[in-house]
Amino acid sequence: MKTIAFKTLGCRLNQYETDALASTFQNNNYKLVDFESEADVYVINSCTVTHQSDHKSRNFISQANRRNKDSVLVVTGCMANNAKEELESRDEINYVLENDNKSALFSLVDSHFKGELKHPSQLDKDLFAYGATEKGFHTRSMIKIQDGCDNFCTFCIIPSVRGRAKSRPFQAILDNVKAVINQGAKEVVITGVNIGRYEFETYKFDDLIEAILNLDGDFRLRISSLEPDGFGDKFLGLLSHPKMTPHLHLCLQSGSDEVLLRMRRMYTVKTFRNTVEKVRAIRPDFNFTTDIIIGFPGESEADFTESCDMIKNLEFGHVHAFKYSIRKGTRAERMTDQVLEKTKTERSEILRGIAENSKLNYRSQFIGKIQRVLVESTDGNTAKGYGEHYIPVQFEGENLKKNTFYSILIKDIAAENDGLLLGELV
Amino acid sequence: MNSHKVISIRNLTPSTYVIRMEKKDFTFRTGQYITLGFSGSIDRREYSIYSAEQDDYLEVLIKEVEDGLLSKRLKKCKPGDELDVDGAFGHFSLKDDEIKSKKFMFISTGTGISPIHSFIHTHPEMDYTLLHGIRHKEEAYESESYDPNRYILCTSGENTGDFNGRVTEYLLKNPVSPDTICYLCGNCHMIYEAYDILEKQGIKLGPIHTEVYF
Repeated sequence: MKTIAFKTLGCRLNQYETDALASTFQNNNYKLVDFESEADVYVINSCTVTHQSDHKSRNFISQANRRNKDSVLVVTGCMANNAKEELESRDEINYVLENDNKSALFSLVDSHFKGELKHPSQLDKDLFAYGATEKGFHTRSMIKIQDGCDNFCTFCIIPSVRGRAKSRPFQAILDNVKAVINQGAKEVVITGVNIGRYEFETYKFDDLIEAILNLDGDFRLRISSLEPDGFGDKFLGLLSHPKMTPHLHLCLQSGSDEVLLRMRRMYTVKTFRNTVEKVRAIRPDFNFTTDIIIGFPGESEADFTESCDMIKNLEFGHVHAFKYSIRKGTRAERMTDQVLEKTKTERSEILRGIAENSKLNYRSQFIGKIQRVLVESTDGNTAKGYGEHYIPVQFEGENLKKNTFYSILIKDIAAENDGLLLGELV
Repeated sequence: MNSHKVISIRNLTPSTYVIRMEKKDFTFRTGQYITLGFSGSIDRREYSIYSAEQDDYLEVLIKEVEDGLLSKRLKKCKPGDELDVDGAFGHFSLKDDEIKSKKFMFISTGTGISPIHSFIHTHPEMDYTLLHGIRHKEEAYESESYDPNRYILCTSGENTGDFNGRVTEYLLKNPVSPDTICYLCGNCHMIYEAYDILEKQGIKLGPIHTEVYF
């Protein structure tokens, strides 16, 4: 039996695609092994959103080659699009597979072992031709509804590597969700590049979410990352649906209107704040998590302070903060007032401290309350999973089972362990 | 991405020009932009579409940028040259249900008038006022193509327009009625300041649309 190892970098969409690909290989008699083990096939599902992502991807390529020089090494994902020529020139890489061919990975590798060497250009191009994710790495079942982005934010390389926005057919999504629920999925995660811009025939994003929520079954629905400009009041109303989890990752990027304009974001600080306040007026403990870019060209001390203030005021449950890095081919690459690396590093440290406090403050409110935790990993006696607010919870018991809901009374928070909530069975 | 032949170059000032290209089967919503570059080259720049949806050609308004990589080369294009066009992109668009029923204020600076030109020429029946902010009157690109009763030229470098000063100063002196839909296109600072002014005058966030030019 051939062995295969995956390393996934970057976004939820990449995670979903890896899950689906890993399931396909397992269903075809491949054994999934850890990336740290020797394998016959290594797949790096790369990311190129920052310099750091590129660096990590290159590092994992080298690691895979060191572990087994005779392995089939495939690099796919956004770096495969953005640095195709560089990657194709490296002898240790067998195949460089762009995003639009990614779903045909199994066909490529299987042909290789049968002695039929295919060039990736011969493969089918289909952004949505992924199988089910039942044997992937996650308990939550991710559903891809959309790919690509037309927003062209000035810092972002993604439209160049993921392409134009394309939405998956409405009925195909519903069929996919029904199938994973029937297979036992308890949590469905909607994923894509810019899911708020979902549009298929007459169906918009909120129509799709409403239709999924109205499906039968004991499951809960989670929305992954969402841009603040692509939805309206109908969607906000759906956040009160009993199957909808009270969590949104709403990408802020900056707390300064001037910086948001230069980033070509399509919302203001005020509209973002209004959205958060509107939702929390109905559900005060709603978990908002976000992304912040530190040191975008022209970001002044005052702009940076506004970002810090937003984090303090909106009490985000988690902030993914990262330093701006120039991406070739973007509009911001040509902006003249680049911020010094030293300044970005100093600001990162300040902002991360504020974000950490915000996270602990936000999560502390759950002590004494009950979370419905879906177990993702357990040895039978100790289990770890996520509550409906998408906060990690750990608890103990007997015969605990993966992919099962447990009602947990939160007793404490482990500040030293990234704000993990500690609880006990009710 | 498709290749489009250049039909003509129309110089509006020594540094600003309009490239007209064949349209082929290209479709767009007025207000959107394209990326443009020479066939086979990786160097591309974004330009709002200047022409109307119904025109049988495609036009973009370009200002030469000092040390610019593309704007100087594009100006030297000859009829028949091939350019790669990708798009259309962007969400700076009119809402179909508002075009005939609402009152519009278009606020632009410099070549930021490009998508507004497309709006107005696609829907000439619209009830609009156009504010165009420039330094010198020669930058009033094809101002004769707008209804003179709806066009207000704001010149900040000389007193040759309808108003001497920036568009933001005009807005402060001439408040906009709160039932107006506003579209702002131009440099970041103008948009930022105008946004604040309009909000204080009672325009709610929803009816303000912006597109930044750099």
